[in-house]
Amino acid sequence: MERDFSKPQRESAVGIVVMAVHTILKVVKALFFFIIYAFVKIDGVYLSYILLALAILILLCLIYGYFWYLKFTFFLNKEKQEFVVNKGIFNRDQVIIQLDKIQQVNINQNILQKIIGVYGLKIDTAGAKGEEVSIKAIDEISAYNLKEHLLSKKETSVERVSEIDEKLIPTNETPLLRISSWTLFKVGLTSNYGQSLALMIAFFLYTIQEARHIMDVFDIDKGYVESTVMGLATLFSLAIIVVILLVALLIINLVRTFYKYFELEISQHKHSLLLSSGLIAKKSTLISQGKVQITKYSQNYFQKKLNILNMSLRQAQFGQSKKEDEMQGNILEIVGCSPLERDELLKIIFGRPLAQGKTFKPDWRFLNLPVFFKIVLPLFIFLIAAYNIPELNPYIGVSITYFVIGIFMIYLSYRRHRISVNRDFIIKTSGIWDISKEIILPGKIQAITTFQYPWHKNIDVGHLTLHTAAGQIQFKYGNYSEIKQLVNYWLYQLESKNENWM
Amino acid sequence: MPINTFTNEEIDLDSLPKYEEISLNKPHSDYWKIICINLFICLVIGGIAIGLALTFFTWVKPYAIVICFMYLLVIFFLFVIFWISFKKRGYAIRTRDVIYKSGIIAESTTIVPLNRIQHIELNEGIFSRMFKLGTLQIFTAGGQTGHLHIAGIPIEEAKSIRDLLLNKLESIQDTIVKQEL
Repeated sequence: MERDFSKPQRESAVGIVVMAVHTILKVVKALFFFIIYAFVKIDGVYLSYILLALAILILLCLIYGYFWYLKFTFFLNKEKQEFVVNKGIFNRDQVIIQLDKIQQVNINQNILQKIIGVYGLKIDTAGAKGEEVSIKAIDEISAYNLKEHLLSKKETSVERVSEIDEKLIPTNETPLLRISSWTLFKVGLTSNYGQSLALMIAFFLYTIQEARHIMDVFDIDKGYVESTVMGLATLFSLAIIVVILLVALLIINLVRTFYKYFELEISQHKHSLLLSSGLIAKKSTLISQGKVQITKYSQNYFQKKLNILNMSLRQAQFGQSKKEDEMQGNILEIVGCSPLERDELLKIIFGRPLAQGKTFKPDWRFLNLPVFFKIVLPLFIFLIAAYNIPELNPYIGVSITYFVIGIFMIYLSYRRHRISVNRDFIIKTSGIWDISKEIILPGKIQAITTFQYPWHKNIDVGHLTLHTAAGQIQFKYGNYSEIKQLVNYWLYQLESKNENWM
Repeated sequence: MPINTFTNEEIDLDSLPKYEEISLNKPHSDYWKIICINLFICLVIGGIAIGLALTFFTWVKPYAIVICFMYLLVIFFLFVIFWISFKKRGYAIRTRDVIYKSGIIAESTTIVPLNRIQHIELNEGIFSRMFKLGTLQIFTAGGQTGHLHIAGIPIEEAKSIRDLLLNKLESIQDTIVKQEL
């Protein structure tokens, strides 16, 4: 079973097909509207030319894929602890990754790869530029083999081969945690409303834009379409539309949840956790516990009743140049675990059970700014407007509801804003609807900022920001003397030992 | 890696060294001159732009006095703000961390432990070079806000700080590697 990666080697030969299809898809995506336009607008005489051009394009992509396959080699340098990739058809690119800089290794399988029976492997590094390597076609055993090699550090390379063999096949292990479809259903109904709403709006905007494009191409009369749409809108009353939208939102939520987290499983390996999930494309990610910077779990009212919660593990993110998509890779979401499973996971990640420490509360002045900017100022402007424009008068009742709900929400956020500190953990609680707890180890702090407004000097109120490699943790309007004492304590913890935070 | 080598006894929080009581070094007084030169250049460019606008667009002319007055007010405020920010800056290098304090209205203090520094940069601008000053930038993995940007340090001092920090970084790296092995 053990593969030798120490000599330069190519991908699976079917990688040619994968690469070619990948390139074709890219080209088609770029030229999509041009191609549609060409088919619709151009006469039959030229159609054969277009088909010929497409055939040549596909051929070129295949040739490209072949050369890419020839030039793409990778190997593992055991002595220097480096993974080396050579690639590039016209220019020679060599990517060298030090093994201890590797953040995570992802093994993916998209539909095409599933049909052919190969896997894709992606390496995320902690380099400032976010340089990463992706191998597009590799067979399953090699993929998992290589993954273990890449993530095993010096300690594991000394281990006996048989031991490595044992933990290579993840299917033999009983998973630590498995999320059932029923739980996923519950998760889908109770979380991520905001994201799904954004997705829905984006989808609507996109459809409208594309519809315009198509109408332009087919010379459809816009006035006619608009009048039909308006007619439909008046046909249903507003209430029905709202209900339909809500149902659509829930369905989108459910579909998204199932697509992303279907058969979510976590199993424990020697130095890492293996997460796998996904409906169509199964995605599995291996991360080492030590590299998790912020661990977060959140729960809202419904989820509390259903006894489920969502967790996310944040790893270090480097450089601003990384795309949004890749940043997502640094946050691993585990949805729908029970409190027991959460405690189990936290214990594995931190090596000891989570313990609450001394809790610090913010001063009541925490309420001032949000109440002023989110409640008083908008209402003031609205009331002035309503005073001058009689048409707005019927809505004054709405402003009272806004006032009450707004005050209540801000008060909730004040009540939830807490930081709890003990020797091993820093736990920050926050949220209005989704109540989240962010947990960091003091050793993961990179820098600390404290600040204070001059008018808070007499009443001893100040703010605290902890910078970590996966984002900031803020505690506002705390007792400044206590904050200073905490900072001194954390500095002592950080500086008295040279812990490796990565 | 040995996780815990220290004993688990109660720590007297008041006996810990206090970051807030460290006396901070101020930026060199020549640095104020550099700020003034930079401000002056910007203001001259702004002034030229306003002058051109006043001569070429006739509809602006009636407001000439108001515009000039506003511009003077802006200049005044800019100088006051920069003066306050210059006065409030301060830095200190302790044996195990770097402290930087700044802010115009709010006073913010950022502390970076030496064993969390990723890399260090020393910058010298044209005017800084004339006054033999430099800017020390200290980068951490804590993102944009976790970086320190200490301007107006005499260049000799800045260089020695840089070398000192680099030396410490290397020795810290060594101990981490040793711990891991």
